Amino acid sequence: MNTKKNNSTAENVVETQDLTKTFGDEIAVQSLNIQVPRGTVFGFIGPSGCGKTTTVRLLTGFYEPTSGTARVLGKDPVTFSKSDREKIGYLIQQFVLYPELTVWENLNFAASFYGVSPFRRKQLHKLLDFVELAEDTNKLARDLSGGMKRRLSLAATLVHNPQLLFLDEPTAGIDPILRRKFWDYFKDLQNEGHTLFVTTQYVGEAAYCDLVGVMYEGKLLMVETPSGLRKQAYGGDVIAIQTTEGLRFEQRKQVESLPFVHGKVQIISDQEVDVIVDDASTAIPALLEWAQDQKLNVETIEQKFLPFDDVFVKIIERETAHV
Amino acid sequence: MFKFLIRISSFLTKELTEIFRQPKLILTLILGPFLIMFLFGLAYPDQNRSLRTTFVSANPSAFQEEMNIFTEAYSSTVVDQGIETDKALALSKLALDETDLVIAIPEAPFETIQQNQQAVLEVYHNEVDPFQIGYIQTIANIYVNEVNRRILQSVTEQGQADSGSLQSSLEDAITKAQALKQAIPPGDPNTAAQVEALEQDLTTAHENLTTFRSLSSGVLVNPFGVNIKGLSDIQFNVTDFFAPSVIALLLQHLSITFASLSIVRESRSGIMELFRVAPITAFETLIGKFVSYLFFEIILAGVITALAILVLRIPILGPWQDYALAVFILLFTSLGVGFLISLISETDTQAVQYSMLLLLASIFFSGFFLDLRLMWEPIKVLAWSLPATYGIRMFQDIMLRGAAIPTQLFQGIALIGVALFLIDWFLLRRRMEG
Repeated sequence: MNTKKNNSTAENVVETQDLTKTFGDEIAVQSLNIQVPRGTVFGFIGPSGCGKTTTVRLLTGFYEPTSGTARVLGKDPVTFSKSDREKIGYLIQQFVLYPELTVWENLNFAASFYGVSPFRRKQLHKLLDFVELAEDTNKLARDLSGGMKRRLSLAATLVHNPQLLFLDEPTAGIDPILRRKFWDYFKDLQNEGHTLFVTTQYVGEAAYCDLVGVMYEGKLLMVETPSGLRKQAYGGDVIAIQTTEGLRFEQRKQVESLPFVHGKVQIISDQEVDVIVDDASTAIPALLEWAQDQKLNVETIEQKFLPFDDVFVKIIERETAHV
Repeated sequence: MFKFLIRISSFLTKELTEIFRQPKLILTLILGPFLIMFLFGLAYPDQNRSLRTTFVSANPSAFQEEMNIFTEAYSSTVVDQGIETDKALALSKLALDETDLVIAIPEAPFETIQQNQQAVLEVYHNEVDPFQIGYIQTIANIYVNEVNRRILQSVTEQGQADSGSLQSSLEDAITKAQALKQAIPPGDPNTAAQVEALEQDLTTAHENLTTFRSLSSGVLVNPFGVNIKGLSDIQFNVTDFFAPSVIALLLQHLSITFASLSIVRESRSGIMELFRVAPITAFETLIGKFVSYLFFEIILAGVITALAILVLRIPILGPWQDYALAVFILLFTSLGVGFLISLISETDTQAVQYSMLLLLASIFFSGFFLDLRLMWEPIKVLAWSLPATYGIRMFQDIMLRGAAIPTQLFQGIALIGVALFLIDWFLLRRRMEG
C-alpha cells in the first residue's frame, strides 16, 4: 500500500487531500481531493467565485490551508524553498506587469526576479517568438491590447522554464480566436514536457484538457476526461438516430429495453431521437443491426458531442438535485 | 549570491527605467529645487523690513528735530510718514494699511519727567504675525532707547558746559588752600594736617571734573558698545543660510515620495502576489528598491548640489566626503520612512497624504524656520525623529561652519535608518511571505 502511495506521489505533480480553505464563516474550498499527473493539462472549470483562484493560491503557497494537505512537486507549498519556487510558473488573472515598461523590459524584469542568468537574450527572444510578440518588443505595456498583455504575461510566466504552470483564467476576457491560440500554446508547452494547471470559466475549453476538474461553490464535483465528463453528465454516450419514417412507440420501447441502452429514448423530432448508451463505439453497430431487423431506413446514426456548456449545466443540475 | 545579485538588479533596472522614461519628472526634480532656492534668494534680499511710521504729537514743532534725527539714523527700518496732530486720524491710517506704525508722543513729556514720572511713548501696529509683532517691539525698544540716549547726551553736554565755572572755582579754592597751608605757624600740626586734607580733596575733585569734561558725551551715555563676530570670517546671506535646509528637506521629501508610492502601487496592481509565489524574498525586494532609489537620488543630489555651488555660489566649507556621507545617510533614512508609509498605506492617495503630512511636520519641526533650541522639550522628540532635522544640522555644519560630519547626529540618523530598514523588512516579509 505504501509503495502504491509513493508511486502515485512520484507521478502526480499535484496531490491534495481534503484541502479546505475558509475565510471566517465562508468556505472557499471544501475537502478538495485531486491528483494531477506529470505532463498533463489539467483544466479546473467552474463559474466565477467557485474557488478556482483560492485553490491555485493554496497550491502555490500563497494561502495556508485551513485543513487538509497539499503536495506540489512533492512538497508542501507553504514550505516551498527558493529552488522549489523556481520550478513553478504562475500566471495571475489580471495584468500585473508594469505599464510604463516595454514588452522587453517587462520580460527582462521577470527574468531577473526569477534569477535567470544575465546571458538570456536568445532565450527571451525565443519566448517572444513563441507568444508572437517579437515585433512588439519596444512597445510600452500600457499600449498593448488585452490579448497582447495576456501573451506578455504568459511569456513572463515561462521565462524561467518552470516544470509546473499554474494559469489562472488565462483566456478570460479575450476573443475566441485568441483563446484558441492560447490553447495551442498550452498544447505546445505540454509537448515540451510542462504540466499545466489551467483554471477557466469557459466550459467549452474543457475539450482541450486531458483531465477536467469541475468546481461548484467550493466543492469539486468530479475529475474526468472530457469524454468522461459527457458520460457523467448524461449517464453514457449520446447517439443521435435519424430515420425516414420515425420511430413508433413500440419501437422506442424496444430500444429502451436493449441491455446497453440507459433511460428513455428522447424524441428530438418526428424522424430523430437521442439514445444514451454505455459505449458509442459498440452501441452504434448493435443499433444498426436492430434497425435492419425492424426494417427501418436509418438515414444517419452518430455519436452526439453535446457542447460542454450543456454538459456543465447538466452536471450542476444533477449535483444540486442530489443536494 | 549570484542569483541574489540578479534578483536585486531586477528592481534597479526597473525603477530606473520607469523614472528615466519620464524626462519631465527628472527636469522638475533637478530644476525645481534649484529654482526654489534661486527665487528664495531673490525674494528675501539682505535687508530688514521698512516700517512706514507716523508720529502723533500735539505740538509737532517741539519734536520735529528729534524725529528727523531718529528717522535718519534708522532709515533702513523706518520710513517717516510725517507728524499728525490727530491721533484718531493716524490710527485710521493704520487700520487702512496706509502706515505700519503710529508712535504717539505724550502731550507734555518734559513736565511729566520733572514730576518724577516716565513719559510713555505709545506705539500702535496692526500686525497679527507674532514674528512681526516681535520685530516691532524690537524697533520700538530701539527707538525709545535712542530717544533716551539723545536726551541723556544732551543733558550730559549741558552738564559738561556748566561744569566749566565749577572747575575755575575749584582751581581758586585749591590756590587758597595752598596759601592757607603756607600761613599756618609751624607749632600747629593739627591745623596743618586739616588744610593738607582739604587741599587733597579739592585736587581730587578737580581731577574728576577734568576727566568728566574731557570725555565725549556719547561715550559717557553709552560707555559699552558691542561687536558681533562669527568663528567664520565669511558673511552668509539668507540664501546661503537656507540652502542646506532646502537641500535636506527636498532630498527627504523626494525620497519619501518615491518610496511611499513604490510598494503600495505594486500591492494595488497585484504583482505582490507574483512576488510571493516567485523565488524572490522580501529582503531581496527591499534591497533592490533601496539600491535603485539611492542610485538615482544620489545622482539627483549631486546635480542639485553642483547647481547650488556653481550658480548660486553656496559654499561647502567642510570636507566633501563628509557631505557625501551626510547625503547618503539622509537618503537612506528617508527611503526607510517612505517604504514604511508605502507598507502601511492602503491606497496611493493615502501614501501621498502621509508624505505631505510628513513634509509639513518637517517644515515646522525640523528647525527649517524656527530654531530647535526654542522648542518645548517634549516636542523635540518629534523633531529628532525626522530625518530632515538631522540633515539640516549636518548640512549646516559641513557647508557653512566647515566642520566634519557631527558624529552624534550621524549616529542618530543612522540608528533611525537601520531601525526603519528592519521594520520595513519585517512588514514586507509579512506581506510577501505570509
